[in-house]
Amino acid sequence: MVILILSAAVFCLSFGLRQKKEYATLYSASLNEFKQAQDQLRSTIKQSDLSKDGDRKKIIDQIKQNRSKLKALDFWLRYLEPIAYKKINGPLPVEWETETFEKYEPPYRRQGGGLTLAELSLEEEAVQKDDVLALIDTSIAAVQTFEADSITSQLSSYHHFFLANRLYLLNLAAIYTTGFECPDTSEIIPEIRAMSLAVKNIYTNFNTSFPSTPLSKEYLDANDKLIAFVNDQASAFSSFDHFSFIKDFVNPLFRMNQQFINRYQVRTISQVDISLENEVYSIFDKRLYHAQNNKGIFSLIEDEKMLAEIKKMGKLLFYDPILSGNNKRSCASCHKPTEYFTDTILTTAFQFDQQKHLPRNSPSLINSVYNHLIMLDGKHISLQGQARDVIQNPQEMNSNEKELIKKVLSCKEYKDAFKKFAARTPEEKNISLEHIVAAITFYYADFSNYYSPFDDAMDKTYTLSNEAKRGFNLFMSKAQCGTCHFVPQFNGVKPPFTGSEFEVIGVPADSNYHKLSGDKGRYAINPVNEMMNAFRSGSIRNIAYTKPYMHNGVFQTLEQVIDLYDAGGGSGKNLKVENQTLSTESLHLTKEEKNDLLAFMHSLNENIIFEATPAALPVSSDKELNKRKVGGEY
Amino acid sequence: MKILIVILSLLSSTAAFQKCSTQKKISEYEIPDHVTKENRELFIQKCEKGKILYKIHCSGCHGIFTKGKDGVPNFTKTQIDSYHAAALIGIDPRNHAVAKKMSSDQIDQIITFLRLRKID
Repeated sequence: MVILILSAAVFCLSFGLRQKKEYATLYSASLNEFKQAQDQLRSTIKQSDLSKDGDRKKIIDQIKQNRSKLKALDFWLRYLEPIAYKKINGPLPVEWETETFEKYEPPYRRQGGGLTLAELSLEEEAVQKDDVLALIDTSIAAVQTFEADSITSQLSSYHHFFLANRLYLLNLAAIYTTGFECPDTSEIIPEIRAMSLAVKNIYTNFNTSFPSTPLSKEYLDANDKLIAFVNDQASAFSSFDHFSFIKDFVNPLFRMNQQFINRYQVRTISQVDISLENEVYSIFDKRLYHAQNNKGIFSLIEDEKMLAEIKKMGKLLFYDPILSGNNKRSCASCHKPTEYFTDTILTTAFQFDQQKHLPRNSPSLINSVYNHLIMLDGKHISLQGQARDVIQNPQEMNSNEKELIKKVLSCKEYKDAFKKFAARTPEEKNISLEHIVAAITFYYADFSNYYSPFDDAMDKTYTLSNEAKRGFNLFMSKAQCGTCHFVPQFNGVKPPFTGSEFEVIGVPADSNYHKLSGDKGRYAINPVNEMMNAFRSGSIRNIAYTKPYMHNGVFQTLEQVIDLYDAGGGSGKNLKVENQTLSTESLHLTKEEKNDLLAFMHSLNENIIFEATPAALPVSSDKELNKRKVGGEY
Repeated sequence: MKILIVILSLLSSTAAFQKCSTQKKISEYEIPDHVTKENRELFIQKCEKGKILYKIHCSGCHGIFTKGKDGVPNFTKTQIDSYHAAALIGIDPRNHAVAKKMSSDQIDQIITFLRLRKID
């Protein structure tokens, strides 16, 4: 009898273990298949003669097979070790990274490798066999990372699964359908079909292995509908209905997955999740990820009444030229709060001396909070750092901390308020520039919390025009915008939203394309060849209201901007751009397509409620200072 | 009378301790020799801010100034070497709700304090 019970118990236990293993077994089996495919690819390349078209074609076919094996694993690899993943399927030969937690260190170089780059290299006539082999070897070495205990041990609990799934869903919305890592555009939709089926298989195995934290039937049904939708769509990515795909299929799955993350108390040990918020249920909720802290030194104050007071002081300071050396210039001089916090008239603002001009166009402050790196060259890691710099920059506001604090404190209203605030920042009890800049960023960041008709359409509370929908579909496909201006903020921050991207597009110095703009961009901060003339990708939101365009304000209309991209950037316009990251080929957009793109861009105009300018500024005990004007003089 | 003596001796010892601690401040942190005098002062300022924030917001669970909680790091030399800013936010957001609210400057101040603090 005892033996019977014991053997039954052993049977149950082993059955349970076997179940538990199914999920992990699927992982290692898929990984092995990919490894074998890679080895085979390697020997094919070794035996081939690259001068023969037939041999090249054979290699490309095998790369495609490799890609499909990789896509079956993409769900895991991209989440479990994103750095190694880039060596298997990175889009660029060299990338310079500055991610959330490397902000305090200089950017570091990352050598890409793998399938995408190998495929691209075969398009070049002069490619050497050894170079192609090296790219594949990089990938083969990187795959080994995914067999390490530290990685495979995560597969024995359910936590990573929902987080990897979240990344997969975000990438479905932002990357997979745009050709970001798939140079052959005819393969994009077929790859998604294959990948969604592979993920369905992962889901099934997960539910068998982790029956107490399953994906619900509702989720699995919704996923089946997504698969059916992708199969019904045309194979050409330009005809794919990106809009409905995200709105009706991806976003609802994202919502349910976020609910699982909360219900199952999912924990993370991964940097991938650092910026992402758990209690957000739409990709188009602006709280989806966290890039900038708008409260600075006031971060730990939660008293609503005091926060409202800080904001009020921030607004006054924003308009107050007391922050400048000559008391004639305020933040509002260049970032006009009634003009989307930019200057729509001047190409580039005046310097402090009121004679010369600054090299760059004043950027809109709206939505700057969704960037990890601030300024077009990514010079600053925080909004407060940017504000500190501009106040003290001799060419801009030309002030200094000591003088500024003295002047601010000569106004009773400021003094009383900031005394109260500083009492709540134990690490810095004296009123300092930190308090001033934090009040300012806390004020203006509020204007980034508004939504556009496009967001409302994605959340199904608004019906978008057909032109705008077509425009979005073009944006994500033929017009190649979505590969740098990523869903949902349409800026250079892509899932998992931990870094900002820089691109070289060859912006001219003049609108007739006589020569390239001499602004070195990111190179000034990170002096490496790849970063020459590179600028942080800006957001498309509110673009219709934030002219002039580009870093130097060279274009007055969006038509001119579209024309630059349509021509293949500066290179396409016959300028000499050594390292353009934008395709140099024409996009061949028709007039109608350009109009549709414009309609989409207009749907990103946010319904912002602007505030009235303050009637007066705080009175100072220094009579001279009371001559200053609200908003400054130039 | 006895109580008065106790209070007086307590007061005098706190005063003595405070005097010590101001002198100690310079030697409280381990800053590499190559760091310039100016930067050394910046580092110490940062550490002091970090220490204040740490005492208020971290000491409930992490040791150093308090007993801390079982199983929660109190930043011995080995622990601090393997403890990164990423972990501060990453590991369990429910435990680190307060860290999630902090500005990057504040987190930097705390990490700088923990890294430069002299550990005997």
